[in-house]
Amino acid sequence: MNPILAVGALVFMVSLMFLLPLIPGLVELRRKSDALPLQVVQQNAGEIRHFAIGFREYIKGLELTMQRCVADGTSATGTLPDGEEYVVLGRTDEPLVLALEQRDATHPVVMAAGTDLTLPPDATFSKDIYAGGQFIGGDKNIYRAILGERNVSLGNSSRVLRWVHAVGEFSAGLGCRLFGRVSSDSLIRLQADCSFLRLNAPRIEIGQASSNADATAPSLNNPANAVSGMSRRFLHDDDFEIKAGQVITSNIVIRGQLHIRSGARVCGSVKSVKDMVLEDGVAVEGSLISARKMRIGRHCAIHGPVVAERELAIASGVRCGTLELPTTVSAPRIEVEEGVVVFGTLWAREHGQVVASQ
Amino acid sequence: MIYVLYAIVFVICVYTGRHYWFTLNRLFGFQRHPYIDIDTADWPPVSVLVAAHNEEKVIANILEALMTVKYPADKMLVIPVNDRSTDRTREIIDKFVADFPGRIQPFHRVGGKGGKAAALKDAMELVDTEVILIFDADYIPGAGLIKQLVAPFFDLEVGGVMGRVVPMNAGTNLLTRLLDLERSGGYQVDQQARMNLRLVPQHGGTVAGVRLSALREIGGWNENSLTEDTDLTYRLLLNGWKTVYQNRSECYEEVPEVWPVRIKQIMRWAKGHNQAMMTYGLRLLLGKHRATLRERIDGTLLLGVYAMAPITLVGWALALGVFYQGVAPLHGVIALLSLTAYAALGNLAAFFEIAAAARLDGTRKRISLLPFLILGFGVSIFSVSRAAVSQVSDLVTGAEFHWDKTERFRKVL
Repeated sequence: MNPILAVGALVFMVSLMFLLPLIPGLVELRRKSDALPLQVVQQNAGEIRHFAIGFREYIKGLELTMQRCVADGTSATGTLPDGEEYVVLGRTDEPLVLALEQRDATHPVVMAAGTDLTLPPDATFSKDIYAGGQFIGGDKNIYRAILGERNVSLGNSSRVLRWVHAVGEFSAGLGCRLFGRVSSDSLIRLQADCSFLRLNAPRIEIGQASSNADATAPSLNNPANAVSGMSRRFLHDDDFEIKAGQVITSNIVIRGQLHIRSGARVCGSVKSVKDMVLEDGVAVEGSLISARKMRIGRHCAIHGPVVAERELAIASGVRCGTLELPTTVSAPRIEVEEGVVVFGTLWAREHGQVVASQ
Repeated sequence: MIYVLYAIVFVICVYTGRHYWFTLNRLFGFQRHPYIDIDTADWPPVSVLVAAHNEEKVIANILEALMTVKYPADKMLVIPVNDRSTDRTREIIDKFVADFPGRIQPFHRVGGKGGKAAALKDAMELVDTEVILIFDADYIPGAGLIKQLVAPFFDLEVGGVMGRVVPMNAGTNLLTRLLDLERSGGYQVDQQARMNLRLVPQHGGTVAGVRLSALREIGGWNENSLTEDTDLTYRLLLNGWKTVYQNRSECYEEVPEVWPVRIKQIMRWAKGHNQAMMTYGLRLLLGKHRATLRERIDGTLLLGVYAMAPITLVGWALALGVFYQGVAPLHGVIALLSLTAYAALGNLAAFFEIAAAARLDGTRKRISLLPFLILGFGVSIFSVSRAAVSQVSDLVTGAEFHWDKTERFRKVL
């Protein structure tokens, strides 16, 4: 073979092998099919009512139809601009005449009522529901999403797959499963055996005995801001115990386990790198953060955010936050006994469960 | 010579293992986002410092964005730190001050030492809040970002917070697309893995926060540092404070669109990082302080990241030298297996990390640009090595560090 040809062939082959993996990249550079900046949530801001606000906007076009149906006592059906079928219900005495009488039925239509809405039990509503008045759901129903302009009440063993927002009070009966977001502008009340993920309301009551929590939990007298209130911190590298009834007037960071005995009061914030246990009647005026598990005993009062990186168990009578200064209680897994009150957000990233008071 | 080469190969293997560890952790490990769910709280007062030096192209965008964020207006004060600007930066800032009375307090710096750290240090006279957030002027924070960056400060161990940087001009050209991939790997995998594994997430000095009491405890901003963010990370760590990373606290930035600007940027980072390595490396690894063993090891490796470029170059030179000297410490099958194993796994590590990051980001086709990263790698290895050499020569000649501002590419408003 001609040496020049051989060298040429070698250079060609090497160049080809070098260029081969670049070809898809060159095509992408030219086409720019995936060249937009990554999506960054600029405006949503994690607002729990985001979907509810969006849905209210979405069905604005049905407002006149709803008013007419309420006035006439009739119902109407049709199709929304994006092709979704809807049913507008106007009669409260027999609101479910449109194929909703059957039990175990699935209703794949957006449902809107300009007035109170009462739904039968054992039904599945696979599209969003809007209630201009009170919403009362039957037992064992499955909902995709609900927006109620007044109170929303779910029957026992109901399920919500995406979100619920109640402008009034929201209540869930025994054994409800609440996936996604649940919010209310006034009150959320969950009964025993309910499971939840993300709850937000000025006041969240767990179970029946919630009203006792205000009276039995220790008072938080003018708690300072959990971040800016006090900058001094006590740092300890091992396990630590705060004695019963002891009053601590600084922030505490413990690099081991932390045990706070009954009736102690911390006028600051608390962090433990390992497990944290609060016995009954403890008051913490700042935040409470554990990098592992946390157990909060009966009738404790916490002012600032409560965060456990693994698991959180909250006993009966605990009060987190206040009506004036709401807070967040968060952990991947939360077990909360009946009788707990949280002002603000209760957020279980993986699973939250209401359990009977011990 | 051969033992030096062995040592270099060992160090390269350590970094290779680290890449894999981080990537596998991100793909399969427990993910830590402990503070991101804090959405309701008695939010503390916060000062937002915006570092600006000749930023007429971008300063209005960030001030506009900050005026619309969802944080109690009476608890947030924006302090544009106008560092000796000679363009329209001052004029633009003053217009915003007039339009939003009481919400912006400008700090117009007309003299003093150059550099971001020096400017921030001087601006501290206006700061009296426990939480300070810092943004470079080319960033555009989203509505919920301030709350997200403040939330970790409810944890008293936290001295510094870092959010995620996302290039907004990613699609401009090959360079911006490569930087977009690099940023993705650096934040989506590296930083989050360090957060997951309780190692040392790095403070980036922008889309970031620092606790005032922690800053005071460590002696404030170090105006002699070229990378005040790296310097801050290590001083916080040595004093018992943690820096945490919030992967979901994303913010748009502008990345360099031309190679000379990129080279200048990476050379400054390299010099600053090496400076921190010289200052804190030994003390971090062996000194008496509160960092855990894993933080000591990871922190040291992180400090050595920019030293790896010249070390790799030396390794290549030594390998060539060893080859031409006829030294063959490993023979036959062992040599072949070692080479094949490293070629298969070692060279792939950084690409694997970036590909995993792209997957986690939910993007697909930009992964096809991965082979082009070799170009960025080539530019980086020589630029960083050049920075290291010039740093050593500066030490010998006593020349002072020079702070180069990164050029902006947005159109003037």
